[in-house]
Order: sequence, then C-alpha cells, then structure tokens
Amino acid sequence: MKRTAISSIVLRRRAVLRALWWGGLGVAGSTLGTRLCRGAALDTPEAHGELIRKLTGRVPVESPRVHLEMPPVFSNGYTVPLTLEVDSPMIQTDYVRLVHVLAPLNPITLVGSFLFTPRSGRARVSTRIRLAEPQNVLAAAEMSDGSLLMTKTWVNVDSNGCA
Amino acid sequence: MVTVQPRVQLPSEVAKDDIFEVRTLISHPMETGLRLDESKHVIPRHLINKFTCRYNDAVAFSVDIHESVAANPYVSFYLRATESGRLQFLWEEDGGAVYRLESSITVRG
Repeated sequence: MKRTAISSIVLRRRAVLRALWWGGLGVAGSTLGTRLCRGAALDTPEAHGELIRKLTGRVPVESPRVHLEMPPVFSNGYTVPLTLEVDSPMIQTDYVRLVHVLAPLNPITLVGSFLFTPRSGRARVSTRIRLAEPQNVLAAAEMSDGSLLMTKTWVNVDSNGCA
Repeated sequence: MVTVQPRVQLPSEVAKDDIFEVRTLISHPMETGLRLDESKHVIPRHLINKFTCRYNDAVAFSVDIHESVAANPYVSFYLRATESGRLQFLWEEDGGAVYRLESSITVRG
C-alpha cells in the first residue's frame, strides 16, 4: 500500500515534469532546474543572456565580430589560456569600449572587464583564467555606438581551478 | 612570503601608427577568499584587482580583475604608436598597495 502511494507520487511528479518540459513552460522549467541542478540551468543561452543583461543593463546580440579563443579541452582548471579579440577599426568614432568575460559556473562569474580605447589600436587581449568546471565562457563587448555584442566558447577542464 | 614582482615586455622603438604588443606579468598568488587552510579557516581574499596602462598620462587600456583570473596574472594587449613618450603600468592590490613600472617608447617618423 505504502509502495503504491510512493510510486504514484513519483509518477505524478514525472507527469508534472514531463508536462512542464513538453508544455514549453520555460520559466517554470528553469526555476525547477535551478533547484535540481544549478549547473545545467546556469549554462543555457537564456541564462547567459540574463547574466549579461544584469551586468550591463542591456540585451546582448551574438556576433561573429567577437572572438573568444580558448582550448576546447584543457587538463588544468587553474590556468586556462584565453585570447579575446573584437573586430573593430579602433578609431575615435568606432571602437570597442569594454569587454566583459564571464564563466557562468564559477563561484564568482565575472572573470574580468577589459577597457579599450582608440589608443589600443587593436581590441585584442590574452590572459589566463580559472575554471571550476567544464562550461561555456562568455564575452560581451560594449561598443562605442552603444551596441552590445557577445560570443561564447565551450571549454572542458579536468580539474577544478577554483578549489 | 611571496614577493610581488611586476614585469613588462615591449619594443623600445616603433614606427608611427604601428600597433605593437605589450606583455605584462605580475607574480602574485591571487588568493580568492574561497579557499580554506589546513585548519579549515578561510584564507582571506588577496587579489590584484586592477591593472592600468597609461600612455603619456592618458589611460590607454585597463582591466578590472576578479577572482577567476589565474595566479600570476598575465595580460598582453596592444597599443597604437602615436608619439614618443612614457608608458606607465599600475597594478592595484586589495588593501591599497600599488605596484608600478614605467618605460619609455620612441616613435619614429
């Protein structure tokens, strides 16, 4: 009797989950997802857009002008190489103002903000970052005309660089 | 005790309007404040939190650095050669310490 009760609860839960999933209730689904698995819910295109919107106050547009070069697989999460470049003439009337790099699954998601000026000549920077787990790394570039361009790149690390 | 040692590599002479690379490194543990020591006490946050490059006193490039930047922060970036003068490099640390380096650049033509 008890077993039946439990399994009917489980079944009902499954049915509800399936309904949420197939019903395309995006909001309900992602709230539930946060509770069940924080990682997966934070590493979705919607969550990426929301992270960047919270940081900059604007909605980013994915753009092939932003390049984020990182190794797709890297053993050591403590020091993962990163090169960032934004295609821009870097002149007074048209330049890249600020580029944010985010690692959504790190304990602290904002990695760094890079400020460029027309004096930079070229909006390109290389550094090394820590990654807690395999994830998409994001770059969001605030341009001098007010637009906000973004890209992301998947990086698989074997060790937790934030421990 | 770790000694904090900033380093910069750049050409001493460039042609006007050339875009040249500047490579910088500072030896620093970049303690995030998220780690525990052997007796399970939090190791306090101790970061280089900002890097700035000034070209003849005008900020040409800077970085707001957070916890996820690796220890011994390495940053390489570019500058356009506009005129001869001096380049100043500043690393700001939690607690207010500042590490500086300065170099001069000759722009030909």
